[in-house]
Parts: sequence; C-alpha cells; structure tokens
Amino acid sequence: MATTFHAALENLRTTRVWKSIFRRGPAITNRTRSVAVFGNLFLHWLPVKVREKSLRARAAYYLGSLSFLLFLLLVITGVLLMFYYHPAAPDAYRDMKDLRFVISNGVFLRNMHRIAAHLMVLLVFCHMFHVFYRGGYKPPHEFNWVIGVVLLLLTLFLSYTGYLLPWDQLAFWAVTVGTNIVSAMPVIGSKVRFVALGGNIVGENALLRFYVLHVVILPLLAFLFIGVHFWRVQKDGGLTVRSKDDDGKN
Amino acid sequence: MPAEDMGKLSYQMRLAFAVATVICVLVLAISPVKDFRSEWKKHKRSFVRYAQGRPDTKKLLADYSPNIDQVWIPGMNVVDRCTTCHQGMTQLSLADSSVPQPFRAHPPIPHNVREWGCTICHRGQGPATEIAEAHETTLAWEQPILPAHFLQASCGSCHHADLNETPQLTRGRELLSRLNCQACHKLNDLERPMLGSDLSSVGYKVSREWIYKWLKEPRTVLDKDGNVTVNGYENGDESRMPKFRLKDEEIVALTAFLSAQNAKPIESYKINPAVVAAWNKKPDLLPQGELRFRQMMCTTCHPLAVTRAGETKLIGGDIGPELTKVGSKVNEPWLVSWLRNPQGYLAHNNMPRYGWTDEDLYKVSQYVMNQLTDSDLLTTVPKLEAATQDEIKNGKRLFLEKGCASCHSIAGVTPQKDFGPDLTALGAKNASELEFGKAKITHNLLSYIQAKLQDPVSVNPVSRMPQYTWNPADLDAVTTALLSQTGPKPTSALQHLTVPKVEASYRAVGDFAEVYERYKCYACHRFNGVGGTLAPDLSYEGSRAQKKWITEFLKNPQTIRPTLILRMPQFNMTDKEVNIVAEYLALAVQKPDVNPQSVDARQFTPALVSMGKQLYEVKYQCQSCHTIGGTGGYVGPNLNNAGNWLTPAWTEAWLRNPQALQPDTIEPRRNLTEDEIRALTAYLMTLKAAIKPQTSTSAANARLAGQGAGR
Repeated sequence: MATTFHAALENLRTTRVWKSIFRRGPAITNRTRSVAVFGNLFLHWLPVKVREKSLRARAAYYLGSLSFLLFLLLVITGVLLMFYYHPAAPDAYRDMKDLRFVISNGVFLRNMHRIAAHLMVLLVFCHMFHVFYRGGYKPPHEFNWVIGVVLLLLTLFLSYTGYLLPWDQLAFWAVTVGTNIVSAMPVIGSKVRFVALGGNIVGENALLRFYVLHVVILPLLAFLFIGVHFWRVQKDGGLTVRSKDDDGKN
Repeated sequence: MPAEDMGKLSYQMRLAFAVATVICVLVLAISPVKDFRSEWKKHKRSFVRYAQGRPDTKKLLADYSPNIDQVWIPGMNVVDRCTTCHQGMTQLSLADSSVPQPFRAHPPIPHNVREWGCTICHRGQGPATEIAEAHETTLAWEQPILPAHFLQASCGSCHHADLNETPQLTRGRELLSRLNCQACHKLNDLERPMLGSDLSSVGYKVSREWIYKWLKEPRTVLDKDGNVTVNGYENGDESRMPKFRLKDEEIVALTAFLSAQNAKPIESYKINPAVVAAWNKKPDLLPQGELRFRQMMCTTCHPLAVTRAGETKLIGGDIGPELTKVGSKVNEPWLVSWLRNPQGYLAHNNMPRYGWTDEDLYKVSQYVMNQLTDSDLLTTVPKLEAATQDEIKNGKRLFLEKGCASCHSIAGVTPQKDFGPDLTALGAKNASELEFGKAKITHNLLSYIQAKLQDPVSVNPVSRMPQYTWNPADLDAVTTALLSQTGPKPTSALQHLTVPKVEASYRAVGDFAEVYERYKCYACHRFNGVGGTLAPDLSYEGSRAQKKWITEFLKNPQTIRPTLILRMPQFNMTDKEVNIVAEYLALAVQKPDVNPQSVDARQFTPALVSMGKQLYEVKYQCQSCHTIGGTGGYVGPNLNNAGNWLTPAWTEAWLRNPQALQPDTIEPRRNLTEDEIRALTAYLMTLKAAIKPQTSTSAANARLAGQGAGR
C-alpha cells in the first residue's frame, strides 16, 4: 500500500504541472533543499539551515513568532468583523449589539479579536524585554531593534485605534483622554489632535479616521515592517548576539 | 540527525499533537453550542409547544419563524427584538391574564407595536435577545425596563399636552407646578412663576413669633401634642410651603429679617364707630359673623379644619390658604385692610374684591379674629428679643442661601439664578450620572427619584432641597412626571413626534375686563383654557345660558348641583357690574356653531312637550341622574329651572352630542333622533321653577352640615 502511494507521489512529481510550480526537483539532498528554500517567495528569507539548538524553546520562547501568529489571527477575525461593521455614529454601537445578540458566534468572533489584540500587546512587550535582556539591540542588530520599536508603536496604535470602534462610553472617553494628552504637546499639540479627530470633538469624523487607520494604514505598515524585521533577523544571524556558546561556535 | 530521519516524529510528539488537536476542537465547539442553546431559541420552541396545546394553534403559528423577530424603524432609531420572545404581542386570543408570560398579548393602546416598537415606551435594551440584558441595568445598558406603574412617563416624553388616558402623569405635572418646583429647577413646559407670597411687607401682617412657628412646622393643623392631625396633603390641600431643615438659630435670624420687612404700609381703614358700638352691644356678634362668613361661601376657596366625631378633616376648596387658625396669625388692622382690598397688599393675588358694608366687614373680621384661633399655637415659640442688626443681616443671607428667595420675592432681594439643578432631562439619566451617597437603595433612576423626593438628604447630605410630605399616590405621580422629563437629547429621533403643549390664550376686554379682574373670575372659572378648574368652564356660556338667568344668578348665586359643597360666593356686585358681566357672557363668549337664536321656542307645541316628558321619564329615564321638582338623581345638574336657564339651541346641541360641547362630561351620548331631541328640548323649556332667595340661617347651617358629610 505504502509503496503504491510513494510510487504515485513520485509519478506526480515528474508531471509537467508539478514541475511548473516547484521548479526544482525533489528536495532530497542538502543542495536541492537549500535551492528549494531560496527559490520560494515565501520561504526565501529563511535560512537554508537551522541549528537544532536554536529551535529549542528557551532560545526565543517563540515570543516573536507567537506575536506574528496573533497578528495573522487578528487580520482574519478583523476581516470577518468588517463584514458586519459600519464606521458611522449610531450604527457602530448597534453593530456591536448585533454581534452580541444576533449574529451566530458573533460574541466568539468579537472576543477572539479583542482578546488576541490584548495578548498581542502583552507578547510584543515580552518579546521586547527578552530581546533587550539578551542584548539584541547591540551591533549588528541595532537596525532591527529600531524596526522592532516601530513595530511596537504600530501594535500600540492598532490597539488604540481599535478601542474607539465599538463606539461605547469606554471607547469615547478613552479616546477623549488620549487625544487630550496629545494636545498637551507644545506648539503643535492642538493641531495634531485636530488632525487625529477630524475635528475638535470625538465624533463621527474621528470614528471614520480611526477606522481607516485601524483597517488599512496601520496593518499595511505593520506587514511591511514585519517583513523587514523577519528578513533582518536572518541576515543578522539570529535574534541576539550569542556569546561563544558551549561548543565554541557562533 | 541523519537525513532520512528528518520529518519523522517521535511517539510523544504525535500524542501531544493529537491531544492538542482534540482540545482545540472542543474549545472551538463551545461557541456554536452556546449559540444553539441561546435563551431566545428556548422561548421560540416553548411558544410552539404552548400554541400546540391550544385550539387556535394554526392562527397562533401563522407568522411563526424560528429566527429572531424584530421591529425595525430606521427613522425612529428603533431596533426592538422584544417580539422574539414576546410572541403573542398582537394575538387577540392571548389577551387573557391566564396566558403565561412572555406570550401574553399587549393591552390595547392607540399606538401599534409594528409602528412604534417597544422600547420607546417601555425602555430597556431593544436589540438584546437575553432576558437580563433586555430588561435590567447592565454594564452595557443603563436604562432598565420602566415598571408598568410608571409607564405613563413615556407618554409624557412626547405628549407635552395632557392626555385623558394618563391621570397619574397629569396629576404629577399638576403637583410639579403646584408645588412650584420650577422656582428652583428647570423643567419642560413649566415657566417660573413666583408662587410664594410677596414678603416685602410681611412685617405688618404677622408677628415674629408666628413666623418662627411657621418655619419650624409649616402646617397649622396640629393636635395638642403637636402631631399633625390632618395630613393636608392627603386631601390635596397642604400648604405649598415645605419644611426646610433649619437650625433654631437660623430660624431666629430669618424671623428677624422677615419681621423687619415693612416696604409698604397697609391702607388702614376705620370702620364706622357707630356700627362698631352697635354690634358690640349685641350678644350674637360672633355667631352673626360666622353666619355671614358662611353665606359668603369663603370655604369655596379656603379650607377649614372641622372636627367631627373625633376626626379632624379639612373641608372647603384649595384655592386660598387654610384659615383654621388665621386669627392667631394676622392682626386685625391688617385683616380689615386685606378684606377690603387684597391687591393693596399683594398686587397679584387672586382674592376677589368684595363689596363690603361696614357692618359685614366688622362682623366677619371679629369672627375671624376671635373664633378662628388657637391659643396654644405660639406657646412652643421661645421668647424672641428685639431683632439685632446682625440677626437681620444673617437672616437676609439665609433667605438667599436656603432658597427662600426662589419662591418669595422681597423688594431689594435678587434670587439666585438656577438655584436647583436642571431637571429637563432627568428622566433620561443613567444611574452612573446620579449621586447615591450612602443611601441603601437600588442604584437606578427610579429609586433615586423616589428617595430624593422622600428624603433629599438621604442621597445627598448637603442637599438644599426642603422636605415634602407625600402620600404614596402623589409620590408616584410626581415620579412619573419627572421620569417624563427626558429633554430633547435622547429622544432626538422622536423630536418630530412631540405633541407640544398648547398655550391657552384669553383676554377679557372692555368693561368686563375690569370686573373680571376685580372679582378674579379666573380663579375658579375657565375661559378658552385660561383660568381655574373649580367652577364650570364659561368659554361658551353665551350659547348655553339665557341672559336673564345669568343676571339673576350673579345677584344671588344658587347652585345647580345640590351635592356640591363648593359654591360661587356672593360678591355683592352692583347692578351695573352685573349688567356688564351678563352682557359680556351672553354675547361675547358663544360657541360659533351654537347660535342661541337659532331655535325658535314658539314652535314647541304642547304635543311635543308631552312627547318630551314621555321620553324623559320612560324611554331614557333621565331622572336617574337629574332632579326635577324634588325627585330624581343627583349625578347631573338639577333641571328645575332649565327653561329659564338653558337656551333651546344649547339644549338641542347638548342632546345631540354632549362631548362635543364639553369633552370631559359624563353625560352619555344616546344617539337620539332629531325628533326626540326637539321633543326633549320642548319639555325642558317648560321647566321654570322660580328662583327663591336662599339666605336664611337654616339654609346656611344645613349647607355647612352637609359639607362635613360631603367630604
């Protein structure tokens, strides 16, 4: 049975269609394996070879990867939520009520998005502390550290802009307080507040601006910076500068 | 690791992976299971079971769908899913109270559920599909269901005009206005009249000791232990003055300030000494004074406490102040001056200016000063020394701080603006916007309003609001009226539905205006919506009554309804004044479609009259409510003199449709034929009993005896 299956698979790999998609042959040798990774758009930034040791949990605690996973989860649930949500004044809150009371599994969907968002903020901070205490900001990682800081800010902004969207009292006052803090900036404070809110009060304009920031601008920026971040992790040789470790290798 | 082992997992890893997968699936299953078992679906299913157990299953389930039902009215901001569980709302067969909730039908009301939704009236959370969320206060929704007992408040949010169907709301609004709440608070539809008396010259009227007593306990009917024996409020007659929480030294300061108010000296009047001397010789001066007091029907406006069979009751009207102990309150020169010209002391007072003879003035004032007294009234008042300047200054400050100036004006004292909080949107407030202090009450708007009304300091220890005494019905009425004050904001989508309060307008003109003002006709009678409600509405009096009858009536007012205790006082009008009034009433205040000349009385033949009598006595049995010649009921007015009193045109129009002429009358509309109407009118026009003057002693006494029984 197994042999027939393997034979069928081998046959499949020789077909023209297969070869047009996977341009290299079967990844049997180390060379063909690395070529497979290089030749794939989605995998090309990954190292062709990973040490088993660096996959151990204590090396990274997978904090960055988990943050990224949550980010993907947020994108998926966020898109689903967008099917129900109107960024307009009476509708926004009513859509929350609909999610709560009428839409099948609406509570589950909304809570997935909300809890994942809270978790992501937490994990991103943990990730940062971990990298910091392991000296991950030192050369040659200083550029990626800065990218990481940008990603931290993007995460916080995403979280904050999402906070207004339910359009309840909590949201309203959180944004009122937040934007008042902004207006305390010298010289440009009140202008920045005006631009952020699209007016002088937290109203429909603010809701629309926060919505666009939340679902378009900030996620695109996050994707961009996450790409750079991952790429540089590989190019800089891992997360952190490791002192010469047990077996004397880097 | 050798290349060929790559991709192969250990047994432990496979096991861990399998367990994780199962857990993941189970976790993901929680949400769909909860969804399937949601509360509203249970109610859906149980309605089907209930309907199947009834004979009209088919009809009940005709519109059934297993999904959520909702009333969606975009223009009014309504998304009400109440009908998801309350599925029998419009099923007529489910109106019975034996039908279990939530399936019972809605009682009939003018508004259709499909057009108005539910939460506009009932409050609660319309979009919710869970019992607790829909009915109660939750973190996400602060307006719970309004208890049915207070539901009339919702009518009042849109209907600023009074409705017949909402007596509790109307009573509440009346109380808000009557207790002068708008003096301190901003309220919808109530302007700010100064209802308390002008105190600019109060120093001439009452003693400092009396003011002390009044501030200490602003109710005068007390038994010997100082307990309030008549809770005036239950009779609807309490003085408007509430009890302020004043310390003794504050009362002393206030009395000092008030007794120093002597802005305008009283117009002193000296009663002819010969009259005084003559009457002082007579032993029955006081009984004669009392008789005159009763004959003048002072109790039509002023209540008096009467003790009968150990029970103290207030009898009389509630327009003027209660007079039981007024002799211990005011001084004689002030009383005489007041009786002659009340407006000389209080410019805007509603007391009529009677035409007094010196004799009557002396008799009545002696009666009031000597009989309507209570020698114990001021015994509890401590000795008050002469007022010092400091006390007066302090009193003036307190007069402003305690809010006295909001109701009472004094020359030279400007009240604080907006003394109390704005209440125009109180009814829409969320519990989180209210201050509950340490009060152990449920944290919602309803309990807040009731606690605050009953004991203002219970929710706010520094509240300046005085203490009112409520009976439970009035407390609920005022609560309802306050809940109806939802302001413009929360109902903005409903603004276009608001039924505004129509402001009545009426102005007396010509010579009549002077008489109208002198005798304060508007204190009791109403003209086109302006004036009191105690006495008949006179807007169409010219269509109703014959001029000759009006003239006779004004000279000697006789009651048309024998069971009423409140009667029109005898004003002692001059003939000229009587003519002016009769002329005006007969010609100027007519109903356009009831022309008094339109029916010619000459066409009433004896045959028609006897047919009318037949109809009156046999077919329609009018005598069960109306009296003619001593027999008949007392529900309607007596018709002894109908032929002199009513115009034929009015009688016909009235028989045709009484409610068209007087919307709140209880006279049934009998759908008479035109012939019957004519015959009945012909009969009624033959009833012409002569008006007998009724001023003898026995009649007045009989009337007073009847008052106690009537109350």
